[in-house]
Amino acid sequence: MKNKNSYAGKFIRVNLTSGKIIIETTPEKLLRQYLGGVGVGARIMWEETDEKTEPLSPQNKLIFLTGPLQGTLFPQSARYEVVSRSPLTGWWAHASAGGFFGPELKFAGYDFVIIEGKSPKPVYLYIDNDIIQLRSAEHLWGKTVPETNLIIEKEVGDKQVKIACIGPAGENLVRYACIMSDYYRAVGRCGLGCVMGYKRLKAVAVRGTKGLSIADKDAFDKLFNDWIKRYTPEGRYWEHVSAMRTYGTFALTDWENAIGRLPTRNHWTGYFENAENTIGMQPLRKKHYKRHKSCFCCGIQCKYVSEIREGKYKGTESEGPEYETVEAFTSNFMSTDTNALIRANYLCNIYGLDTITTGHVISFAVECFENGILTKKDTNGRELRFVDKPENSTKVMETVLQLVEDIVYGKDEFSRLLQLGTKKAAELIGRGAEKYAIHVNGLEASGQDPRPHKSLGLTYAVNVRGADHLTSLSSLDELGYKEELVRRYDKKLVDILADRWDERYKGYLVSEMEEFYALVDSLLLCKYGTMWPPLYYFDDLLKIIPIFTGFEEYSDPQELEKLASRIVDLRRAFNIRLGWTKKNDDLHPRFKEEPIPTGPAKGQVCDLEPMLKEYYEIRKFDWETGLPSEDELNRIGLQDVAKELKKKNKVVKNPKIPKTGRKWTHWSQRIK
Amino acid sequence: MSKKILVVDYEKCSGCRMCELVCSWRHKKEFNPAKAAIQIVTMREKSIDIPIICQQCDKAMCQEVCQPKAISYNIEYHAYVVDEKKCIGCKMCISACPVGAMNFDSDKGVSIKCDLCQGYPQCVQYCPMGALLYIEPEKANLKKKYIVAEKFFSEFLSGRRST
Repeated sequence: MKNKNSYAGKFIRVNLTSGKIIIETTPEKLLRQYLGGVGVGARIMWEETDEKTEPLSPQNKLIFLTGPLQGTLFPQSARYEVVSRSPLTGWWAHASAGGFFGPELKFAGYDFVIIEGKSPKPVYLYIDNDIIQLRSAEHLWGKTVPETNLIIEKEVGDKQVKIACIGPAGENLVRYACIMSDYYRAVGRCGLGCVMGYKRLKAVAVRGTKGLSIADKDAFDKLFNDWIKRYTPEGRYWEHVSAMRTYGTFALTDWENAIGRLPTRNHWTGYFENAENTIGMQPLRKKHYKRHKSCFCCGIQCKYVSEIREGKYKGTESEGPEYETVEAFTSNFMSTDTNALIRANYLCNIYGLDTITTGHVISFAVECFENGILTKKDTNGRELRFVDKPENSTKVMETVLQLVEDIVYGKDEFSRLLQLGTKKAAELIGRGAEKYAIHVNGLEASGQDPRPHKSLGLTYAVNVRGADHLTSLSSLDELGYKEELVRRYDKKLVDILADRWDERYKGYLVSEMEEFYALVDSLLLCKYGTMWPPLYYFDDLLKIIPIFTGFEEYSDPQELEKLASRIVDLRRAFNIRLGWTKKNDDLHPRFKEEPIPTGPAKGQVCDLEPMLKEYYEIRKFDWETGLPSEDELNRIGLQDVAKELKKKNKVVKNPKIPKTGRKWTHWSQRIK
Repeated sequence: MSKKILVVDYEKCSGCRMCELVCSWRHKKEFNPAKAAIQIVTMREKSIDIPIICQQCDKAMCQEVCQPKAISYNIEYHAYVVDEKKCIGCKMCISACPVGAMNFDSDKGVSIKCDLCQGYPQCVQYCPMGALLYIEPEKANLKKKYIVAEKFFSEFLSGRRST
């Protein structure tokens, strides 16, 4: 422990083709310019890959990253980030998971691990402090996630080893396979487990016993109690922290349904009648809660273990389900069978599947079937239906559960089609199937709906990884954090900002969230506490970053803004280089044209354009092409990126930036 | 100060390891679970987390095997403490400890042992779940007694079953 800040100080580069492992010192310049997590990941992906790098090729990289906060006492810093190019969407991919893997990597002495090449035979990477080995994983190939964990634990003779691995889904190249760490924590979206499977890397197992320091110990001691207080009844959002601690993230099910935003029947509507009494937080807690769990050093403590106590699957036990999984395997099929939900969550966990995409790829097929686009001939005799009456839930979900397993192993042509994800499957089916393929830029829409929550429409449209809820979602309008809006914004705007159905100013709000989360994902804080409930904001980051890293320049909002924009625009530039244009900043027609048919938000559609204009105005993108401004890239310190894009004719010298005429003070001007 | 002991409510522990980090930070000024005097043993496949703590045994084997007499009993806060100046790093205490609560600081070459933070155990203060208690030994099992009493009441005294 000789470091002067909270970074581990080294990184690992593993070439799976040659088996060569290199340990290098983490360049300070890289950390200073990109902080860690997605920021550093974006920089490495930008430099070491190009538009010719196919997602499933030895040239694609898979990078496991931590940030300056992992492994420290900061109360919610358990996450690690994985970045790559997505085999599901073809665009930029980042995904993260909590648990214990990220901190352990830092305790072993490493900030990040770059995986490149493709191994001739299945291997796993074992890191025990200074010992790093590629070990054979031939005996692990085909094993489920829990089996893999148990075998590796036994093999290395240490039950405290932290393992990130893939299940059969990743091995079989299901495009939305995820990486599972600590048994049940998923690096969920974008199919990063598929990249790992392609590279024949079964697992990364880490054990570390080294310590971490911090740049300013005294300042940390002064602020620590203030941070901890936010997770106690003295905190401003105790009500929400305590709801998460009691129920986990599925407390959201009730709240989302109350505002008509709980995706139901493949995003047909946002309201599931009687959800509170069937799939809501109370029944789930009562019927399935087994014991409490947590991520490393967390103040919120939203994890728990669920079990099935009756019926065919009695005894099934797994961590979770989270809100997104609840939605994907209940209201998404109009099902009220929570046993099937716990079972689906368990199956996705042991096989290593993204629950959101898995649920939605199947509900897409169901809607195609219901509308005659798919018949029993296409589905190999499967009768795919939504639940018509609650009492039929179990029967319908039985087909879904079977299909989940069939997808993992590619049992027949139909399940192999669904292995490719909604977008590709719809293209291959044709016959108008895209009407029911609810994705944005290749990523299936998560448990949100832009019609009752307009700003989410922009979130989905401009996110670098497609329709996800973690890159720029604003919870302030969603859940009505009026007190927080008053604290943060011009009082005159508060009512407009708080109105979920009002598109005005939401472009600015989403852009601000995108910048905030770029920092959050680089420091690697959890979205719980930064998004919901909003315990931290830029004013906290201005203190946190210098205390942990010693990068004093980031106590200045202007410099912090440049850092955030650098990360946001570099990720976008990665996609621009791959061919992203303004056309990609769009939504599925269902969200723009089909008014929500039922529930509290009945009749609402999402009007994207006004928000997109505001967003382009603030990000200084060209309204015609969606390309970035050369001057702006130079301003935020991305001169080399501007230069490369210029060579490819993908940057604009004088962009046509929309003028909305609205007055908005950027956060870097508001916060002192 | 009256004698108090550390007690774990195993039902409540979520395995977050906040206690470990608080311990290493307060004692060693670094973030390192490996240098904490309290450590959580996890069986992830069963989702079970059990904090292993120094029990401050009445017959302390760590003290008895310590040749340089580096471990002494502090009567003020009722804990056995390691004198880092006297500790020679022989690790006999680690072998002797019946519950495996002794740890070792390889950087300094000294044993790590819970000293109850001079009577203000930080792990207790910062446990988010309230799974750690610092109470008089005479009252330690009061909670369990109440659970048993309530069960007894509902089983026998409430009239559902006669004795």
